[in-house]
Amino acid sequence: MTQPIIQIENISAGYGRGARQVQALRGISLEVQPGEIFGLLGPNGAGKTTLLSCLEGLHQPAGGRLRVGGVDVAHQPLAAKRKLGVQLQRTALLDDLTVHELIEVYAALYEIYLAPSQIKDLLARFDLAQLANTLSRRLSGGQQQRLSLALAIANNPEIVLLDEPTSALDPHARRAVWDIVRHLHNDGRTIVITTHAMEEAEALCGRVAIIDHGQAIACDTPARLVADLKANPVLKAAVELPLDQVQPLPGVQSARYTGQYLEIETAQPQATMAALHDLAARLGRSIGDVMVRQPNLEDVFLKLTGRVLGASRD
Amino acid sequence: MKRFLTLTKAIFLMHIRNGAVLFWNFAFPLLLMFIYGVIMSQYMDYMTPGVIVLNIFSFGLVGSSTMMLEMREKGILRRLQATPLPASQLVAAYLLVSLFTGLLQSALVWTVGVVLYKVPVTALGIAIGLPMILAGMLTFLAMGQIIGGIAPKAGVATGAGMTVYFTLMFISDMVFPLEMLPDWLQKVVPYLPTYLVSQLVRSALLDSALDPKWLTYLLMLAVYGGLSALIAARLFRWEPKA
Repeated sequence: MTQPIIQIENISAGYGRGARQVQALRGISLEVQPGEIFGLLGPNGAGKTTLLSCLEGLHQPAGGRLRVGGVDVAHQPLAAKRKLGVQLQRTALLDDLTVHELIEVYAALYEIYLAPSQIKDLLARFDLAQLANTLSRRLSGGQQQRLSLALAIANNPEIVLLDEPTSALDPHARRAVWDIVRHLHNDGRTIVITTHAMEEAEALCGRVAIIDHGQAIACDTPARLVADLKANPVLKAAVELPLDQVQPLPGVQSARYTGQYLEIETAQPQATMAALHDLAARLGRSIGDVMVRQPNLEDVFLKLTGRVLGASRD
Repeated sequence: MKRFLTLTKAIFLMHIRNGAVLFWNFAFPLLLMFIYGVIMSQYMDYMTPGVIVLNIFSFGLVGSSTMMLEMREKGILRRLQATPLPASQLVAAYLLVSLFTGLLQSALVWTVGVVLYKVPVTALGIAIGLPMILAGMLTFLAMGQIIGGIAPKAGVATGAGMTVYFTLMFISDMVFPLEMLPDWLQKVVPYLPTYLVSQLVRSALLDSALDPKWLTYLLMLAVYGGLSALIAARLFRWEPKA
């Protein structure tokens, strides 16, 4: 087993003082291996951003220990910051500077001085080459996000921390960001990404930690987290049939109505579907749209917390 | 050092590309000069140093601190905090650009005074006046950063700064002579930082001489500036107020 590149040991952190104090992290422990794309998945308010802020040296943990790239964040904050490339949730840049100037300045803040040709190469990788001389405040949302990702690697870091990089983007821009994240991963960088979108975690991450109420309640590959559920696919059909006649059909574990949809949890979706058609034909009912949903991280979260991932904590 | 220079250059570029900074620092002072030139043309010797002090005062107290506050409000400072840049280097670079902007603005006003309104000028006057303007700017910048540190939002800081600015502008011997004020106020005003800077700059630029009380005045300014800087440093925050 290799040495973890990020070690999070029993971190607790909060905001405010006295009676108004809010506990954001409650003794969370995680390890990230070199070269991983590691996802922090959880609803808004779960503590994902606070955890990244602690790693970034922007928030002082109340207790616990953090190491990035072998450096203790509390003891050597500046050395720790040099190990990291950072993209914060709200893109806020020196907005009266051009794209080219911003790359130059942010690299210089790490005492890395890029030649104009290096900056050009970097911008080309993020599809920003034509915008090199544009003021950053004139960029579109997707362009700003690509720029903030380019700035995150201006210092050529081993570790890149991305805080909800796609949350405000349209589907097209979101896919562009996913491609960029995969490129950064192929460079050999370790990436930690927060998200509350389970399809994003499934598409990108090698391992995912599910965060809720300031704790990691599960941590594994998306496939194993789902497999551990031992949950069945769900067949959804717009049809009206008596439940007592649906229950005995082959493969059916349970059946119920949600709105106008019949929802059947089944171990054999194909067989259940065929039998359902026969039953409907016998009773003279027609079946509207039908879909089969495989269990996913959404279900893992629901099982572990009793709540839906998309819903905010408050 | 190279990091500091790159950062300073970036902050300078941000200043000269910012419409509000350009207007208040360069267009507005000239406008003031033209207005005073029309309505009190025979007093321009007295007015020109007053306009200089007035403008470095407004820039230090309101302009410079508001820009820093905006950077904090937008989350730009927080993004910078995630880099290994020490806060001291950021503040120093910012200060340097502010000082430079203030000097440029003062030179512009003085040139207009000399060329259009025949205000006297000597090399000695400039040599004495320059450090006095710098001392004034440093004091005003530090005072402005206190307002910036306390105010929750840039708008509030501008409001608070403007209130202090207008009050001191009328009573500090910048545009109205001290003799026009009520007696009790005349006793208080000589202790105000704006009054001190006005006296120092006016003697330098008009009489090419140090004010008779220049040492006392500079010491008093040092106390104002030093205390303000200490308080401002305690109040410095990267992140916006929640």
